[in-house]
Amino acid sequence: MSVPSLQVRDVTVRFAGLTALDDVSFTVAPGTTHALIGPNGAGKSTCFNVLSGLYRPAAGSVRLGDTELTRLAPHRIAALGVARTFQNIVITDGTVADNLMLGRHILTRAGFAASALHLPRARREQRDHRARARETAELVGIGAHFDSLVGLLSYGDRKRVELARALCLEPRVLLLDEPVAGMNAGERARMAEVIQDVRTELGLSVVLVEHDMGLVMRLADEVTVLDFGRRIAHGSPDEVRRDPEVLRAYLGSVAEGEGAA
Amino acid sequence: MSDRRLVKPVAVAALAVLLCLPPFYLDAFWLRIGLFSLAAAIGATGLSLLSGTAGQLSLGHAFFLAVGAYGYTWLAGDPGPGLPTALAALLAVLLAGAAGGLFSPVAGRVRGIYLGVATLALVFLGHHLLLTADSVTGGFNGRSVPPLAVGGFAFTGDDPGLTVLGVPFGAEERLWYLALALFALTWFTARGLLRSRPGRALAALRDSETAAAVMGVDVARYRSAAFVVSSMYAGLAGVLLALAFRRVVPDYFSLALSVDYLAMIVIGGLGTVAGATAGAVFVTALPLLMTRYADRLPLVAAPGSGDAGIGPTEAARYLYGAVVVVILLYAPDGLHGLARRVRARMRRRRTPAGQNTAPAVPPAPAARPKEHTP
Ligand SMILES: Nc1ncnc2c1ncn2[C@@H]1O[C@H](COP(=O)(O)OP(=O)(O)O)[C@@H](O)[C@H]1O
Ligand SMILES: [Mg+2]
Repeated sequence: MSVPSLQVRDVTVRFAGLTALDDVSFTVAPGTTHALIGPNGAGKSTCFNVLSGLYRPAAGSVRLGDTELTRLAPHRIAALGVARTFQNIVITDGTVADNLMLGRHILTRAGFAASALHLPRARREQRDHRARARETAELVGIGAHFDSLVGLLSYGDRKRVELARALCLEPRVLLLDEPVAGMNAGERARMAEVIQDVRTELGLSVVLVEHDMGLVMRLADEVTVLDFGRRIAHGSPDEVRRDPEVLRAYLGSVAEGEGAA
Repeated sequence: MSDRRLVKPVAVAALAVLLCLPPFYLDAFWLRIGLFSLAAAIGATGLSLLSGTAGQLSLGHAFFLAVGAYGYTWLAGDPGPGLPTALAALLAVLLAGAAGGLFSPVAGRVRGIYLGVATLALVFLGHHLLLTADSVTGGFNGRSVPPLAVGGFAFTGDDPGLTVLGVPFGAEERLWYLALALFALTWFTARGLLRSRPGRALAALRDSETAAAVMGVDVARYRSAAFVVSSMYAGLAGVLLALAFRRVVPDYFSLALSVDYLAMIVIGGLGTVAGATAGAVFVTALPLLMTRYADRLPLVAAPGSGDAGIGPTEAARYLYGAVVVVILLYAPDGLHGLARRVRARMRRRRTPAGQNTAPAVPPAPAARPKEHTP
């Protein structure tokens, strides 16, 4: 699997009088983890919404390899191998398996007719992909809950379902919006391990939005810092940590990173 | 474990045999109740897919039922092309699907309660067309429906005459088996849809279009596909209803019919075939039974008796109106959800304490949270 680089160039997003993203640029090198940090309202989720095609920027470009993403519908971007999770959990009613199988939507073909008629190829496809989905569930640590209703799972497990569902797309770029927000210390550590594991095992690029600075410092190869929609710093975790502008705008107010979501 | 796995096929087989028996034991009145219930179950399954699974509120189901019923009548009849009736039935179903597809530009743009209002317009438009397009629809008085005939076997009283095990097979007996076969087809196909890729995509649309889209679901395409599929089931139900009534009239396909179908899927439980079926039987059979037994019911006037009191049809509406309210309050996932929870509870009671394996089934929320902001 070849992972192309993700290039965000001069992206500007405006909402009725508010500039949520102002000329933001960064590049996610193939197979790296790129953290996007900044105080609440800095525009991180807005940036994810641009990357996944939910918002169209007023200006700028997003390229995955040679493909321009800003003009594509979200489902086309997903088909190119960009998967994401949401800051507030957004999963479907039903079982964990149902959710993960939704994640395999673009990798499967069965249409209305084949499914309605229970055609052998549709059933075989479903069986094969269910097995793959189960593997993903195990990778993320929710294998035991594969057939459980998501409504019965703990908050942390539901966060993991979202991650597993995104992984089920077999993405080349994974966008994680505050994956450990609201988790306790033990759950955070496990989640960090999982993210680390999937990145090394699957070789994908990760864009990580997170307030937990410890986690960011541990996982990120590169960090981009946003404040009021503008990029105020950029570099390795160590460089960013020492950047006076960052300390003033961000770390100063959210001491050592245990900021709430 | 192995006997648990056997239970289901055995139960299904037993049910199938049981459903084949009524023509031998029940008279035409009961067969007609069953016939209308099965037709309604097919239509309700379609609406359940659209409104229950895909979350698109439709008050326009009566319109698509009418397309099926009138489509068949015209295609098989004179005036009309007078096609072989089986072909006309098939084309009527496709026609209803096409009508659903034509509506998809609207369905793709309008959501929630606004979609409900837009589909309402379909019912009024349809009713107007049925009244005015005399040459096709027969106008206010409607048209008589050509009986279905497959390979020389007609679903009427006597063509050819047929007696099975001493029971003369008239129209009701024959149509019963037709309805049963079409219902089985509906059950089979709808379960196939719901439990596979398209069904999951539709359910994802209902819970969050945003999440569905970023998972790769083509939202516009699936929204319109839901309308097409739902309308095809409605069309099939329409054909069957036309055959059972033997006459189609515009007034049957009114807003009240759409509301009846919504009541069916709410009472039965949204998004499942079993639920749609249970609701369809309840809503269909209730007024017919109340009419039949009106003289024995308090407060209900027998039809044509001139007594003070409410007529049995209205009484049935009040009753299931009340049932809808009770269900929304106490069992928002309908009869189907209720049955599921009772079963789960019985299973837990049977397993010895301490090794409690069956998970509790929580009631689904009545109103699903619609869109989440990303
Ligand atoms: N759909 C929207 N409409 C209007 N304003 C929005 C919308 N989405 C985000 N915003 C605004 O854009 C700014 C950035 O929001 P967001 O990207 O969610 O920040 P972050 O994720 O960094 O906390 C906030 O001021 C927010 O209120
Ligand atoms: Mg955010």
